[in-house]
Amino acid sequence: MTFKICSANAVRRLAICLALAALGGCSTVGPDPWEKDLMARKEMLVGAYGPQMAADDHVFFSKEASSGGRGFAGGGCGCN
Amino acid sequence: MTVATPVDRTLGFERSGADWRGFFSAMATPCEVRVETEDAEAARAVVLAVETEARRIEAKFSRYRSDSVIGQINAGAGVETVVDSETAHLLDFADHCHRISAGLFDVTSGVLRRVWRFDGSANVPDDAQIEAIRRLVGWHRVRWRAPRIRLPAGMEIDFGGLAKEYAVDRALAVARILIEAPVLVNFGGDLCVSGPRRNGSGWKVAIESVDKDRNVAGLLRLMGGAVATSGDARRYLLKDGKRFGHILDPRTCRPVEGAPRSVTVAAATCVEAGLTATLAILQGVESEVFLKREGVRAWCIR
Amino acid sequence: MQLKKNRSGVREQIAALSASLLAITGAMAAVSVPDVAYASPGDNPNDNFGPGVSYTQLDSALLVYQESGGRVQAIEPSATLTAHSSAGDSLSVEVIADAVSGATPNGAVPADQLQTFQTPIMISGGHATVTGASGGSTVISLPGVAAVRQYTTAANLLPVDKGFHDHRGAFTFNWSQPLGRISDIGFGGGYSREQDYQAISGNAHIAQTFNGGNTTASLSVNTELDSSFPYGGVPTPLTVMSGVWKKPGTRNKTQLGFVVGLTEVMSRRWLMQLNYSFDSQSGYQNDPYRILSVVDSVSGEPTSYLYESRPNRRQSQSLFWDNKFDFDPFVTDISLRYFKDDWGITSKTAELSERINLGRSFFVEPDVRWYQQSAANFYRYFLVGGDSLPTYASSDTRLGKFTSLDYGMKLGFVLSGRTEFDIRGMYYQQTGDGHPAAAIGQLRQQDLFAGTKAAFVFFEYTWNFH
Repeated sequence: MTFKICSANAVRRLAICLALAALGGCSTVGPDPWEKDLMARKEMLVGAYGPQMAADDHVFFSKEASSGGRGFAGGGCGCN
Repeated sequence: MTVATPVDRTLGFERSGADWRGFFSAMATPCEVRVETEDAEAARAVVLAVETEARRIEAKFSRYRSDSVIGQINAGAGVETVVDSETAHLLDFADHCHRISAGLFDVTSGVLRRVWRFDGSANVPDDAQIEAIRRLVGWHRVRWRAPRIRLPAGMEIDFGGLAKEYAVDRALAVARILIEAPVLVNFGGDLCVSGPRRNGSGWKVAIESVDKDRNVAGLLRLMGGAVATSGDARRYLLKDGKRFGHILDPRTCRPVEGAPRSVTVAAATCVEAGLTATLAILQGVESEVFLKREGVRAWCIR
Repeated sequence: MQLKKNRSGVREQIAALSASLLAITGAMAAVSVPDVAYASPGDNPNDNFGPGVSYTQLDSALLVYQESGGRVQAIEPSATLTAHSSAGDSLSVEVIADAVSGATPNGAVPADQLQTFQTPIMISGGHATVTGASGGSTVISLPGVAAVRQYTTAANLLPVDKGFHDHRGAFTFNWSQPLGRISDIGFGGGYSREQDYQAISGNAHIAQTFNGGNTTASLSVNTELDSSFPYGGVPTPLTVMSGVWKKPGTRNKTQLGFVVGLTEVMSRRWLMQLNYSFDSQSGYQNDPYRILSVVDSVSGEPTSYLYESRPNRRQSQSLFWDNKFDFDPFVTDISLRYFKDDWGITSKTAELSERINLGRSFFVEPDVRWYQQSAANFYRYFLVGGDSLPTYASSDTRLGKFTSLDYGMKLGFVLSGRTEFDIRGMYYQQTGDGHPAAAIGQLRQQDLFAGTKAAFVFFEYTWNFH
């Protein structure tokens, strides 16, 4: 029996040979699923701070001629 | 001291050093939970929750149960099966692992057991048998588009290389919701800890020797994360003095040559550790090179 | 079809993939990685709320808004309850209330003399009443003659009506769910009511995610029926402002719009969203209380005040492009918007925010927004006596040319998972041309830009629970 400890300090980003070159295969725009960790964070979610964006839109709607873009135009209030 | 316990099917609950230790049998393996606390009731609740989670995953993903999700998918080979979201995530995971590993990790390879029976005998299948089974192996033959899966007739999938590790991670997460005390979850040698012990030291984890005497081959101190082992000296075929290990390469449908007898990997999660260990051992003679190149914390036994 | 470059080692991929699996299935509730040697790219603490998990989210918020110069102040509490099922269905219900008061520019230009304005009022009893306390207005009621409310503006000041106050209550709901092979389909509705305004709205959307979850295309449509029932009756556009109590009336406006959206995960760290919106409104668009000054063509002194007049139809389009970049602990959001309508208004908006996570439970997020619009083709600072009356005219600053800048700072306290308390302060300032070349006589001495300076604070508490 031999007992061998493999180094933890090995260089990580060496080019991978083996058949790993097939990684990704044919692919279009966007990361692979195992790279979605950051996208799952609240700050990266579209609409995570809904009430705040709605409040901003409400203020800007009542002061500016443009509305919508992020969502629907209009404001549902008579503040014109 | 073993305390009689009302916990469903829990085999034991006892004081072990600074820990309360509960143990039970699930997923065809001995399972253990250690909770470093004085509070027996809280520890007992953790053990119960862990066991419940283990049994849930076993019931859901066991290939031996016809009423499991896997059983249903396999029984429905040839037609389309719609799966729930947890199964879908696991199948997605298997799909990506298959790609990352260029086919080395393959949840369809279980059918190889039909011809390769690792019983210590000399029953090595002949080429014809292997050719016959070959068309039933290969994830690329499976039509998977969440949440619908369709296996070609005769094919099977199993989460053998995944479900136990997944259960460990899930169980630890469940435990951590219940208690802040340090916890170790160990399902048949695949284990995960919540963090260091209360005094800041690591958990002592022994790596089992693969030799007949079954001595401890190594000891490591785990401060956090998980450890999983792949490889098992107890399962092999011996023909004409040649030893065929039980690790099968799904691409060749034959045992991997020159593989270490066991690879133990430490990683952040048990799923990661288990998968890395499996991929390492599938590299055969290149196992150590692979582990070193990837910077994995690992212990190989040859 | 393009072969993707091999960007990271197998170990990193396995680590990230494993972390993602456990995150998405809720197992990472508290997986910490105390040893950096084990750290994987996906070791962010998962909050156990997300796809496949049934949970409820409660958002409660309070907006406190104050304009400088004693102008509009508003306070707006809101609460939203959203229930998510593990199958991806969601139902949200929101209630909002607001109370608005303060002085509002009435649309007249300043003058070098005292200006007096009269508007209708309904009072009971027939005695002459003086109510200096009622928003600086005087109510004049003579026997046999309908009462009027009168307010004055001192020389060289922007005319404002201090009697302005309103309350609003609104309710909205939205339902959304996956259906068969459709990623998401849903509908919603809302009702909003003020003392003199009512809005009923409905919307529906459909979204499809493909390309391995990296691309989402969506189509949303919405419609709104607004009813205006001005206090004192509906004034006839471009007639002289008066205190005459008119027959109560209602004017409607219908609105129909759609948004086509594309959300694309460009890379592990880059999320992009592109929206095209089209909006069509038809019906009563006037501000029934807003007037324009008619000034003498030589002296620039006001001679009368006319109610404004806007076209009945308005169509607008906008293109909105949002980018989020995650370079943990920094998250950058850059958005651009281009807007154009058939009233002659075009606008450009650019917004930049930078979130900085300071540890896991606290973040700061400064942001800046720049906005510029051109004037509607019927925008007038004032009308000139003797000139022929245009068909449409409004002096509403919102329809004029200006630039606005907005600076904000948010402090966020992440209490656990997605339970979070945020405070956000903003300062908003419009700048425009107060001395247009067309100014006549005394108007050359006045600042004709009635733009707003405002500060607002927004408190939000988000609580997620199972």
